[in-house]
Amino acid sequence: MRRDRLLRRIQLSTALALAACGPAPGERPGAGPGPGFYFVDVAAEAGLTRPTWCGRAAKPHILESGGTGLALLDHDGDGDLDLYLVNGWRLEGASVVERGRNALYENRGDGTFVDVTEIAGVGDDGWGCGVGVGDVDGDGRPDLFVANFGPDVLYRNRGDGTFERLPDGPGFDGWSACPVFFDADGDGHEDLYLSAYIACTLEEVLDAQPTLDWKDQAVMLGPFGLEGAGNRFFENLGGGRFEDATAKSGLADVGLYYSFGVVAADLDDDGDRDLYVANDSNPNYLYRNDGRGHFQDVGLWSGCALDSAGMAQAGMGIAPGDFDADGRVDLFVTHFAEDSSTLYRNLGDCLFEDVSRRFGIRQPTYAPLSWGTCLVDLDLDGLLDLFIANGHIYPQADQVAGTSYGQANQLLAWDGRTFTDVSSTAGPGLAVEESSRGVACGDLDGDGDLDLVVANVDAPPTLLRNDSARRGSWLLVDAPGALCVTAAVGDRRWVRHAVRGGSFNSACDQRLHFGLGPADRVDELTVRWPDGTETVRSEVAVDQVVRVSR
Amino acid sequence: MKLASLTLGAVAATLFFSSPPQETPPAMVSCYESLADTILAVKQTEEHFVRSLLDGHYHAAKAYVQRGESARAAAEMALFANEGDNAIGGVRKRLLEGGHHHNAAGEAKGIYEPGFVVVTRQAKQEALAAATAMRSAADDEQRKAAWEDFSAVAHGLMPK
Repeated sequence: MRRDRLLRRIQLSTALALAACGPAPGERPGAGPGPGFYFVDVAAEAGLTRPTWCGRAAKPHILESGGTGLALLDHDGDGDLDLYLVNGWRLEGASVVERGRNALYENRGDGTFVDVTEIAGVGDDGWGCGVGVGDVDGDGRPDLFVANFGPDVLYRNRGDGTFERLPDGPGFDGWSACPVFFDADGDGHEDLYLSAYIACTLEEVLDAQPTLDWKDQAVMLGPFGLEGAGNRFFENLGGGRFEDATAKSGLADVGLYYSFGVVAADLDDDGDRDLYVANDSNPNYLYRNDGRGHFQDVGLWSGCALDSAGMAQAGMGIAPGDFDADGRVDLFVTHFAEDSSTLYRNLGDCLFEDVSRRFGIRQPTYAPLSWGTCLVDLDLDGLLDLFIANGHIYPQADQVAGTSYGQANQLLAWDGRTFTDVSSTAGPGLAVEESSRGVACGDLDGDGDLDLVVANVDAPPTLLRNDSARRGSWLLVDAPGALCVTAAVGDRRWVRHAVRGGSFNSACDQRLHFGLGPADRVDELTVRWPDGTETVRSEVAVDQVVRVSR
Repeated sequence: MKLASLTLGAVAATLFFSSPPQETPPAMVSCYESLADTILAVKQTEEHFVRSLLDGHYHAAKAYVQRGESARAAAEMALFANEGDNAIGGVRKRLLEGGHHHNAAGEAKGIYEPGFVVVTRQAKQEALAAATAMRSAADDEQRKAAWEDFSAVAHGLMPK
C-alpha cells in the first residue's frame, strides 16, 4: 500500500502502543506491522459494506452452501482495478425475501470504492454463483459472464463504463459455477467453459429440509445422493454468437461429477491452454487440448485427478502457479474439512505428482474447509505464497467441538523448501472469521504488491490490504493475449503463465505479477504468444507496470 | 417397471386370497427365490463385466509396453487402477446414487472405495504407483520393474 513514511511511523507507533496494552479485540496476540506479512481488512472504510446472500441462515439445501465469487477488472480502462461482486438470494422459510443484486464497485484510487452498478448496467439479480472475465468481441475491453442458479448472463463492455446484456449469450438454466474464457481453438475468439454442480430446481431448494446426520447435527443433504449437472463448453463464433460445442470438443461431462473450480492453462507446455476442473467428491478432470480445440480427458493417468493415495477428494478451488520455479504450471486444489488440500507438482508432459506432504501442505490445511485460493508472491521476495479462503458449509458446525462455521483464512509462505502457515502473524486481516468462498487478487492501490478480496456468505466482503514488509521489487506485465511471460535476472528466471480461471468461481486480475526479490532491473523480459512467437525486452526497470502488445 | 410391479401385485393378491392365511403363499416365496437368483446373477455379471474391463486395460497396457510406448501403457494401467475411465466412473456414481454398493461390507471396512467392484483401495494405490513409475521411467530396466509391479497387482484381479 502506498503510505508515506510518516503514516508508517504513526502506524508502527500505534501498533507498538497497542501491543504494550495487549491485543486489540479481534486481533491475534503478537500481530502487528513488522518484518513479515501484514494484512488489514479495510472493506468497511473502502465502502464495501453490502452483504452477499446465499439462502437461509440454517442452509437446508446445498445450493445455500456454495456462496459467491467475485472479479477484479479494469472495467473503465482508467488503469486501476474495479470490483464486481456476485450476489445470491436471501431466503426465509420457503420464501424468497431478497434477490441480491450483483454490484460493480469503481475504484476511486484513494482506497475507496463507489457503487456504479446502475450506471454500468450490470446489476443482475439472478441467484449469482460465479463470474468470469473475458474479451468476447476482441475489442480489448473486459466483458463479464455471470454464472447463476438460473439463466446465466453475458455482459458486453461498451467501452464507456457501461455494459449491454447480450440476449442470446451462452450458458444454461441451472446451477452453473465457474465460467472461464479462453481461446481453445486458436481462432482468435475467446470460448467459454462453464462448470456446473448439482441439477436441482428452485422448488427443491425452497422445500429442502436438513435430513443428513453429520456429527449428530441435522444438516443439508449432498452432494452424494444428488444428480450432478453437466459442464458445458461454448464455442465463440464471433459477432456475439456462441454455439454449444461440448460434445464436439471432447468435453462431454461423462461422469456428471460435481464441478466447481476451473483453470485454463498450458499445462503440458505445448502452446495451447488445457482445462483442469476440480470435482467435489469425484476425480478431477484434466482435458488436454490438441491445439485445435479438441480435448481428451487424461486426468486419471495424469496424477492430478486423485491424491497420492489414489483417492478422489472434495475439490473446490484451484490455485495455479509455478511454485518451484521450474517454468511449469503447478496446481493447488482446496478441499472439504478434515481432508487436506493437495499440491500437484507439474513434472511435464501432463504428469503430476502429489507433493502435499513433502512441502508442508497436509497439516495446516487438514482441519478447515477451504475454497478460493491464490498462489502469488505477496511479499515480493520472488517466491509464491498461498492464500486460502476458509469457511464451513454447515452453520451447525458451531454446535460441534473443534470446528466452526466461520473460519479464519490462511496464508502459507513458501521459502523454497517448504510451505509454512504464517496466518497467526500476518495481521488482523487474517484473524477475520467468516464463511468465506471466492477470492480474487490484484494490486488494488497501485503500489506494486497484491491485495486480496474475499467474498463471504451472508456477510460483506473482506478487503485485505497488503501492508506486508516488502522483500523485493516488483513488475506487473500487461500483455493481453500472451501465453506466458518470463523475467530473467542473472541466472534466475521467473515464469508467469497467463492462466484463466482459478480460485473459486472468481476472476483475479489478468495481468502477470512478479515479485523479484533484490533485483533492481530485469535483464530480459520475454513474452510468449500462443502462435509461438516471442516479444523480448531488455534492461527493464522494476517497480512499474509494463504493457506489451503483440 | 411399473407394469411389472402392478402385475406382480395382481398375482400376489390372487395368491393371497386362494391360500390359507398367516403365511406367505409358497408360490410367492418361489417367485422371490427366482427373483433373488436373478438379482444375484446380475451382481455376479457386474463382477464379470468389471474383470473383463480390467482384462482389456491390462492387455492394452501390455501391448503398449511391448511396443515401447510407455506413456500409453501408463494410461491403460491407470485406467485399470480406476476400474475404467470417467465415463465408467459416471455409471458407478449413478449406481451409488441409486443405492447400489457392490461391496457394501468391504466399503464399510475401508477395503473398497464406494462403488468399486474388484479393485481394492490398496490395489488401486499400487497400480497407480506402477503407472506413475512407468510414465516417468528413464530406461528399460525401470520400465520392466514398473510392469512387473503392475502385473503382480493385476493378475489377482482379472478373470479367473
